[in-house]
Amino acid sequence: MQRRQTSAAWLFLAPFLITVAVFFFYAFARAAYYSVTDFNLFNTPKVIGVKPYADVLGDPSFRRALGNSLVFAVLTTALQTVGALLMAVALNRRLRGLTFFRAAWYMPSITSSVVITLIFLWLFQRRGVANYVITQAQAYAPLTLTFLLFLIGVQVTQVLLERRRALPAGWFDPALGVTSALLATAVTAALAWIGVISAREVPPFDYQYFADKWITLGGVRILSIPLLVVVIQNTFTTIPTLMLFFLAGLQNIPRALYEAAEIDGATPWQQLTRVTVPMLRPVTFYVVTVGLIGTMQMFDQVAVIGSAAPGDTLITLAYYVYANTFKAGAAPVNLASAAAILLAALILAMVAAQRRFFPSEAS
Amino acid sequence: MTAAPHTAAPRPLARSAQDRWLARRRWARAAWLYAFMLVMSFVFLGPFVTGALSSVKDNPNEYPPSLKIPQLTPQYIARAWSLGAQGSGDGWQGGLTPGRSVTFDVTVASPAGAPQAPPTVALFPYQPVSLVATTRLAQARDYAQVRVQPTGQTGNARRYRVTVTSPVLTKQTGETVRAVLTAPDANLRARLRGGQVVPVMLDTPEAQARQYDLNEGQPVELVRGPAGYSLRGPLLERTPLQVDVQRGQAITGSTLPPSDRQNFGRSFAFRNVTPGLLGYTLSNYRRAFNETRDPKSGRSLFLSWVTNSFTYAFLRVAAGILFCSLAGYALARLTFPGRTLIFFSAVLFVQMVPSQVNLVSNYVLLKDLNLLNLWGLWLSGLVPAGGVFLMKQFFEGMPRELEESAAIDGAGTFTTFLRVMLPQAGPALIALAITQFQGAWNDFFWPLVILRDNASFTLTVGLSNFRELYGGQGDYGLILAGAVLSAIPVIILFVVFQRYFVDTGADSAVKG
Repeated sequence: MQRRQTSAAWLFLAPFLITVAVFFFYAFARAAYYSVTDFNLFNTPKVIGVKPYADVLGDPSFRRALGNSLVFAVLTTALQTVGALLMAVALNRRLRGLTFFRAAWYMPSITSSVVITLIFLWLFQRRGVANYVITQAQAYAPLTLTFLLFLIGVQVTQVLLERRRALPAGWFDPALGVTSALLATAVTAALAWIGVISAREVPPFDYQYFADKWITLGGVRILSIPLLVVVIQNTFTTIPTLMLFFLAGLQNIPRALYEAAEIDGATPWQQLTRVTVPMLRPVTFYVVTVGLIGTMQMFDQVAVIGSAAPGDTLITLAYYVYANTFKAGAAPVNLASAAAILLAALILAMVAAQRRFFPSEAS
Repeated sequence: MTAAPHTAAPRPLARSAQDRWLARRRWARAAWLYAFMLVMSFVFLGPFVTGALSSVKDNPNEYPPSLKIPQLTPQYIARAWSLGAQGSGDGWQGGLTPGRSVTFDVTVASPAGAPQAPPTVALFPYQPVSLVATTRLAQARDYAQVRVQPTGQTGNARRYRVTVTSPVLTKQTGETVRAVLTAPDANLRARLRGGQVVPVMLDTPEAQARQYDLNEGQPVELVRGPAGYSLRGPLLERTPLQVDVQRGQAITGSTLPPSDRQNFGRSFAFRNVTPGLLGYTLSNYRRAFNETRDPKSGRSLFLSWVTNSFTYAFLRVAAGILFCSLAGYALARLTFPGRTLIFFSAVLFVQMVPSQVNLVSNYVLLKDLNLLNLWGLWLSGLVPAGGVFLMKQFFEGMPRELEESAAIDGAGTFTTFLRVMLPQAGPALIALAITQFQGAWNDFFWPLVILRDNASFTLTVGLSNFRELYGGQGDYGLILAGAVLSAIPVIILFVVFQRYFVDTGADSAVKG
C-alpha cells in the first residue's frame, strides 16, 4: 500500500518536478556556475573565480540598480502596507454595496503592469492629465482653502456647542461634519458667486517627470523622479488588493476585544495601535513579505518605460540582469548571472530577516 | 462599534434625545463612508476611464484635456456615419471610393472690415507614421478633387459647401470588383478576393500617370470588362481636409469638429472627412490593427499578438489545471518520503527566487532546442509553483472520509483522485484557471525574453513595442487603444468570476 502510494505520488508529481528541475534548479545551478566564469553567450565558459562579483560590485550602474531597487522596495512596501491598512480600518463596517466598490478598486490590480505603465506614462507627460489636475488644483486653491477654513471653523463651533449641551461630541463627529461640510460648501459657493473669491490665473504646470531629476539627501541621489512615479503607480495598483486582505483579517478579530478596549476607555487611535495592528500581524507579515519579494523584482515598468526615462533613473536589479544578458555583441552574461544571484540572495535575506525579527504568530 | 446603518431605521416611537443623537451619528458615519468609497472608486478607476475615453480622441494629448469628446457625441457619430456612407457606401468603414463624392459644410464668420473671401480648402497628405510596417498607401490629395460653393449667409456668417470627388480612372464599364495590388512586374497586377492574380489595364492617361505611384498592398477598385480588368481607382482609406481662412475671419462651424486647430484658429485640419463610424469613434482602435500589418504576409501583427496571448493563456490554463491539481493532491494527501523537502524547495523556495536567476539558462536552453517561441514559453512555465500551492491548500481542507470509502471499495490512487477528489475541486479549479489565465495574459518578462520575432509576440510585448515606436512621437492614440483592448479580456473575466478573485486572495492571506 505504502509503496503503491509512493510510486503514485512520484507519478503525480513528475510533470511538476521535471519542469522545476529543468527550468529552475538546473537553471539556478547554471547561473551560479556562470557567475564565476567568463561566459559571454558565445565562448566556452572558463572558471575565473569571484572576479565577476567584484566587477559587478564595482559597476556604477549595478550600484545604482541596487540603490534604486532597495529604495523602491522599501518605499513601495511601506506605502502600500500602511495605506491599505488605513483604508481597511476606515472601511471595516458591514456596508451594503461593498461588492460594487470592491469591483471598482480591483481594476488596477487585475490589469497587466504593461497596460498600467502605458497609461501612467501618458498621464504623467509634460502636458498630461496629471499636470493638468495640478494646474487646476492651483487655480482653484482659493476656493478650496476657503472651504477648508470654513469647514474647520464651523465644525469646531458646532462641537463646542454640543459639548456645552453635555453631549459627548468628538472633534471628528460625523453628523456635525455633514452639516459643517454643507455649510462650508454653501458659504464658498456664495463667496464665489458674489466674486469675493475666484479661481486664480495660473500658468500651466508643466513639470517634466521622466527626466534626469533626483531627490537627494546630503548630496546622495536617493530617489529619481521617474522612479517616484513608478512608486506611485505601484502603490496605486496594489493598495486595493492588500486592503481586501486586511479587511478579511479585520473581520476575524473578535468584537469583544474592541468592546473591552472601549470599556477601558481606549481612544480610537489606541484601539488601532493596541488591538487592530497586533491582531493583524499574520496578515501584515504576509503582505510585507509578498510586497518585498514583488517589489525587489520590479522589471516590467522599467522595460516598458525604457528610453522614455533617461539613463540610470529607473534601472533596477532585475532590469540590470536582463540588459546585460541581451547586450549587443558579447554580452557580459557572467556579470548578469552574478547580479541575479546577488538579487536572489538579497530577497532571501530580506525574507529571513523578516521572519527572524518580526515573528508572525501564525507561523 | 456601530451596528449596520440599515438596522438603525428610525422608529416612530418617542425616544430619548441621546438615542436620536446616536442614530444620527451612525447615519452620518455611513454617509461619510460611502462618500469615501466613492472617492476611492474615482481614484482607482480614474486612470483607466480617462485613458479609455481619451483613446477615442483624434489627439489624446490635447491640452487642456477635455471631456467633451465629439467621437462620443451621438450627433457627430451620426454625421461620421453619413459621411462614410457618402464616400464609400459603407457607413462603418468609411473611406473614399472612385466615382463617389462627399459634401462637407463649413461656416466662416467675416465681420465687416475683414476679408470676405471664401476659405481656402485643400486636401493634405496625412498618413500616421507607421513604423511597424511601412506601406505607403495612396493619398486622397493625389486623386480627389475639391470644390467650394457658397450656400448661404446669416448675418456675417457665410456657409460653404465643400465637395470632394474621387474620379473614375477608366472608361470601361462593367462589374466593379475590389482587389489588392501585388508586387508589380512589367504590368500592374492585383489579387482578387478569391486569391486570383490578374493583370490590371490602365486605359486612360489619368490612370497611366498613376502607374508608378501605386504600391504593393494598395486596395483598389477594378472594372471587369470584356478585355480584362482595368483600374477604376484606389480605395482611399481617409480623406484629410484642411480649411484656411484669412486674418480677421473665423471658422465658426463645420460638419465635424476639427482634429487640429492651428494658426490662431484660422486653420482647421480634419484628418478624415469620410470616417465612417469605425474610422471616427474607433479610429485609434482600427489603426492599432491596420497599421501593424506585416509587409510580407499582410497579416495584422496586432491581431497575431491577440491570438498569441489567447493561445498562451489557454495552454497555461489547461496545463495548470491538469498538472497543478495532480501535484497539489500528491503533496496534500499521499505519504511518501521527501514530501516536506519537495514542498519547501520546489513550491515555497521557487516562489521566492526571482525569475531573473533562471533567465540565462532558460534562454540558452530553449534556443538550443529551437523553442524560442510560444511553445517554449509554455513549456518553461508549464507547472507554476503558485498553482501547486493553491491546489495543495485546497485538497488539505477536504474531508478524508471520501478517499477512505473509495479505498475500501478498492479504488486505486489515480481512480480516487480522478473520480472522487477532482469532481469536488470545482471552485479551486476555477480559481486556478482564473489566476493562470490572468497570469499568462499579463505575463511580460518571459514573453519578452523568449519571443524573438514580432509576429510571435504576445500582446504585452507588442504593446511595449508600441511605446517604443509611437510614444517617442507622442502618438498616444494607438498606445491607449492597444492598452484598453488588452485590458478588456481580464476585465470581463473579473466581472464574471469576481467572487473567485476576491475569495481566493483573501483566504490565502489570512491563512498566511
